[in-house]
Amino acid sequence: MYVDPFLLWKSPSQQDKALHLAMLNSFNHLGFLAKSGKAEEAISQLVLASECDEVGLGVSARREGRRIGREQAQEILDLFRSVPEYDQRGFHHFEEIQFYVDGISKDRISDFSCNFIKSFLIDFTIDQSEALGIPLSDCVVSSYYDPERHSFISDFPARLPVNPDTGFPLLLVPKRWLRFGPWISFEEYFKAYCPRDEIFNPGEPPERVRVLNYNRNHYGVVETYIREKERTAADCHTDPLFTQIPVLSAKRKIKQIENLPSGNVAAADRRYEETAVQLLSSLLYPHLDFASAQSRTDSGVQIRDLIFYNNRSHPFLAELFAEYGSKQLVMELKNVRDIEREHINQLNRYMADELGRFGVLVTRHELNRARRQNAVDLWSGQRKCIITVTDVDLGQMVELFESKQRSPLDVLKKKYVEFRRDCPA
Amino acid sequence: MLTRKKVDHFEKLTGQLTGIHDELSALAKKTPNDAVNLFKLKFVNAVLTQCNELLGSDYRPFGDFKEFDADTLPSNSDVTFIASQYLQALEKFRSDNVIQSKTGWWVYAVKDGEEIRAAPPAKLER
Repeated sequence: MYVDPFLLWKSPSQQDKALHLAMLNSFNHLGFLAKSGKAEEAISQLVLASECDEVGLGVSARREGRRIGREQAQEILDLFRSVPEYDQRGFHHFEEIQFYVDGISKDRISDFSCNFIKSFLIDFTIDQSEALGIPLSDCVVSSYYDPERHSFISDFPARLPVNPDTGFPLLLVPKRWLRFGPWISFEEYFKAYCPRDEIFNPGEPPERVRVLNYNRNHYGVVETYIREKERTAADCHTDPLFTQIPVLSAKRKIKQIENLPSGNVAAADRRYEETAVQLLSSLLYPHLDFASAQSRTDSGVQIRDLIFYNNRSHPFLAELFAEYGSKQLVMELKNVRDIEREHINQLNRYMADELGRFGVLVTRHELNRARRQNAVDLWSGQRKCIITVTDVDLGQMVELFESKQRSPLDVLKKKYVEFRRDCPA
Repeated sequence: MLTRKKVDHFEKLTGQLTGIHDELSALAKKTPNDAVNLFKLKFVNAVLTQCNELLGSDYRPFGDFKEFDADTLPSNSDVTFIASQYLQALEKFRSDNVIQSKTGWWVYAVKDGEEIRAAPPAKLER
C-alpha cells in the first residue's frame, strides 16, 4: 500500500486539501530554489524527501529504503526548467514526475508525500496512539519538513510509538489515503494513453525511456491524461488493507489441503500451514481481521500459528470475548493424522491472559475419544475451550464462502456448540 | 376426530411442507452440504412446529427432533431429509383419518358428519 497524493487532492476534507496544497508548495519551492541559484540545497532536500522509513510503506522487508541519488534529484529539478508549464506555474500534481524521470514510481511518490507532511503525521500518530492506548516512547525523528522555513529539520525529538525490536520511531498514516498504486500512474499512461504510433517505429520494442523523453517535449499529452484522471476522480477510491481471495482460489486451496499428506513429508506441514492461513484469513474476514501468522510472544519463546483480532462484530465473537476474555483468537495448525496430548497442551499454553481462554485446533481429522476427553476436561477444570476445525469443516466453510447462504464463521460456532454439548452441564 | 378447521390447517401445512421439500431438494442436488440460510430456516422451523402440534407424539416421525437448531448449521440435505420424513408422517396421519363414504368417495372423518373430499390413502393409490 502507498500514500496516493491524489486521494488528498480529491478528498472533501478541507484538511486533506490543505495538506495536498502544502505538499505541492513544498515541492514547487524546490523548483524555486533550483532556479534561484540554490540548486545544491534543492537537491539535498529532494534526496532527504525521497525515503520515509518511519512510515515504512512499500515492499521492503526491513522497512528501510534507499534514497534517490543526487543525479536523479537533479533530473527531477531540471523539469522546472525543461517543461515550460512547470517553469511558469509549478506542478499541480507532483506525481507527474513519474512521466519524465526513470526510476520514479509509486513508492517514491508515497515517500515524497509522507515527508512533506511528516509534521502532520507526527501529530496524527500521537493523537491516534493516545486514543488507542499505543505506548509512546521518547525518540528522535531523523528529519521532518518545516513548511515555515521551507527546509528539513534534522534529529527532531518526539514522543512516538517505536518498533520494539529496533527502537526506531513509527508513524501512522490515515487509511483513507492509501492505495495499491497512485491514481495518476505511469503504467496506465504507458499502456493506454501515450501515442505509441508517434513514439515507436513499427516493430520497435516499447521502451519506457523513450516515452519519458517524448513526454518532456509533449506536455500536452501528459496534460490530457491528467485532465482525464481529474475528470474521473470520483472513481478513485482508497484500497482496503486486506482483500479476500476469490471463491475460485478458495476452492483451489481447499483441494490443495485435501490432497496434502499428513506429517512433514515433502514439507507438507509447511504447505498445509501456508494454505490454511491464507484460506482462514479470507474465510473469516471481516468478522475476524488482522490475521497474523507465526506470531511470537513477547519473550519470543512461543510461536502461535495464526492469531486474529477479535472485533466482536458477530454475536458469537462477542460471546467468546465475554465468556473467555478472547481479545484475540489463537489458532494452532497441525498437519498430523492424530492429535496427541502434547498438541492440546501446546495450544493450552498459548491460551494465556492476553489471548483469552478459547483456542482453535486446525487439523486434518476429528479428535479421537481420549483427546476429546482431554479437551472436555480442560473446560471442566479451567473453563478453557478448544475446538477442532478439520478438512471437512474447512470444506464446508469454503462452500458457505461461495454460496453466501451463511457466514463461514458459523462453522466455528457450530463446532463450539457441538463441543459445549459434550461438556458437563 | 377431525374438524373442518383442522382439515384446512392440515392441508395448508402439507402444501407448505411439500413446497419446502421441492425447493430444497433442488438445492440439495446441487450442493447437499451447503447450509440453509437463516431466513429459510426460520420458516422451515415455523412449519415444523405447527406439524408437531398437529401430529402429536403418536405421529411425529422422531421423538427427539422438534425443529432445526440454527447454530448447528443444517444443510440442504438435512432439511430435505427431515421434510420428507414429515411428509410421510402427515400422509400416515391423513390415511388414518380418511374413510370411504357411502357414495364411494374418500372423505375426511369429520366430527359433525360433513363430507370433505380427500384423496385415497397413498398406499392404496400405488
